[in-house]
Amino acid sequence: MLEVEGLTKFFGGLEAVSGVSMSMKPEEIVGLIGPNGAGKTTLFNLVSGVLRPTKGRVIFEGTDITAQKPHHIAKKGIVRTFQATNIYPNFTVLENVVLSCHLKPGVGLLETVLHTAGSRRKEKDILHRSRTILTLVGLDRMADVLARTLAHGYKRILGIAIALAAEPKLLLLDEPLGGMNGEEVSETMGLIRRLWQSGITILLIEHNMRATMNLCQRIVVLNLGRKIAEGSPAEIQGNSEVIRAYLGAG
Amino acid sequence: MVSLLSSAVLIVCLLMLPLFLSGPYHMHILILTMLNVILAASLRLINLSGQISLAHGGMMTIGAYTSTLLVMKLGLPTWAAILLAGFSAALIAYLVGFPFVRLKGIYFSIVTIFLSEMVVLTAQQWEDLTGGSTGIFGIPRPDPIVIPGILNLDFSSKVHFYYLALVLMLVSLLILFAVERSRIGLTLRAIQQADSLTESVGINATGFKVLAFTIGCFFPGLTGGFYSHYISAISPDAFSFLFSIYILVYMTVGGDKRFAGPILGASVLTILPEVSRPLKAFMPFLFAAVLIAVIFFVPEGIAGLPNLLRRGRSGERTAHA
Repeated sequence: MLEVEGLTKFFGGLEAVSGVSMSMKPEEIVGLIGPNGAGKTTLFNLVSGVLRPTKGRVIFEGTDITAQKPHHIAKKGIVRTFQATNIYPNFTVLENVVLSCHLKPGVGLLETVLHTAGSRRKEKDILHRSRTILTLVGLDRMADVLARTLAHGYKRILGIAIALAAEPKLLLLDEPLGGMNGEEVSETMGLIRRLWQSGITILLIEHNMRATMNLCQRIVVLNLGRKIAEGSPAEIQGNSEVIRAYLGAG
Repeated sequence: MVSLLSSAVLIVCLLMLPLFLSGPYHMHILILTMLNVILAASLRLINLSGQISLAHGGMMTIGAYTSTLLVMKLGLPTWAAILLAGFSAALIAYLVGFPFVRLKGIYFSIVTIFLSEMVVLTAQQWEDLTGGSTGIFGIPRPDPIVIPGILNLDFSSKVHFYYLALVLMLVSLLILFAVERSRIGLTLRAIQQADSLTESVGINATGFKVLAFTIGCFFPGLTGGFYSHYISAISPDAFSFLFSIYILVYMTVGGDKRFAGPILGASVLTILPEVSRPLKAFMPFLFAAVLIAVIFFVPEGIAGLPNLLRRGRSGERTAHA
């Protein structure tokens, strides 16, 4: 489904990502781990088109999408979440999701300006779909709350809901569990597992090792921009190079 | 909120106003007020996408020259020319839009200032076409609108221009309101908050920013077209840098969060200096003082006042409870 071939990114003289190759099969759930500064988020930015790679290719469902614009890549079905600005703070929770639903074609911009019957019907469908997504992630009771007033954990979940509304085939989650408390972690893990079971392919960056090992079928480890290991959670836990990357040379 | 009823009452009042206040001076001020309302309201559309344009003066100049030259050199009907004035400003905004919107914040504003200055310089230097620094005089009035027995607008009096400006303002506000309420408005507000997030779900943020800039510049072009036929003269520096700044002040003082904001801001700040002549001489000082006062005490602008007062009162109630 996704083929990353020799992806390299220089920031000036700094090699943030260095010749990383990896692939994902449909309906797989893969974890991307590594110490801080390993190049995980840069890899996400390269795949999702936010950054242009210095070298290498990204192929999605057989087509080369290297260095395409982010919104084109999103339309093809790769949707990513962000660590920081992951919601629209001044919109209600419902509006946050409604906005992403607008992507699906059907009503032209002029029609929405003229407020035609067709566009009103379509808006109703979108509202219905948005509420369904909020129910799925468990934010339905907070639909009319301003997003910036949400608790941190709910903000992160809303970030996932925004991505879901864009109907991803491949979902890139950037630290979905970051800053969450224990209960929120287990709820969000449940959500990620349900999304995966519903057929969405997932690549996830996460520092919470127990959660990553628990959720993912396969793990890719980056360190200093290079891929140093790849394998099942059990293999990774026993890999001496991975242990060295995390604990320092021993 | 702009409620339907209060808008209807206001429109009826504006329609009847010339019955009581038909002196040329008052008419002139009211016409300028309505033009400023169009300018400030269209600036807000660009502002929705998180960009502050200071090209409105330049766009008005483009519109004024386009309409004038189409009528005087090519003999087009004035109505077609005024409409084409809007489209020519929009076209130029569209063409420069793609490189411009790559710049964010103050840098976008700076290039819009350069654009305005380029328009002024072009109008000054291209003497064969534009008459150079002296400008163009004797621009014809709009073609008369005659419906035998019912209507006879020949634009010989300012009252006729008043009604034309009123129609222009109402139609412009209606279009701007429809755009803002549509998916375009929602998307622009989202882009203002987090443009990379909108791109991650497949929204062409650059395209929407250019769209906002293009639509937002159509209206100053249109206004410029109207203005040249109204004043019957145009010069390159009629709409200076300060003019663009004033429009920004109208929008900010009125409140850029609400649709009614720029309408209120432009009305108050156009009429206020006319109330007393001494004030008018100190207009830049007055505007600066009002702007600072609003930013400090009413951050949501005049349009946010009722909300602020209500919150203040309910705040006291909860404090006492």
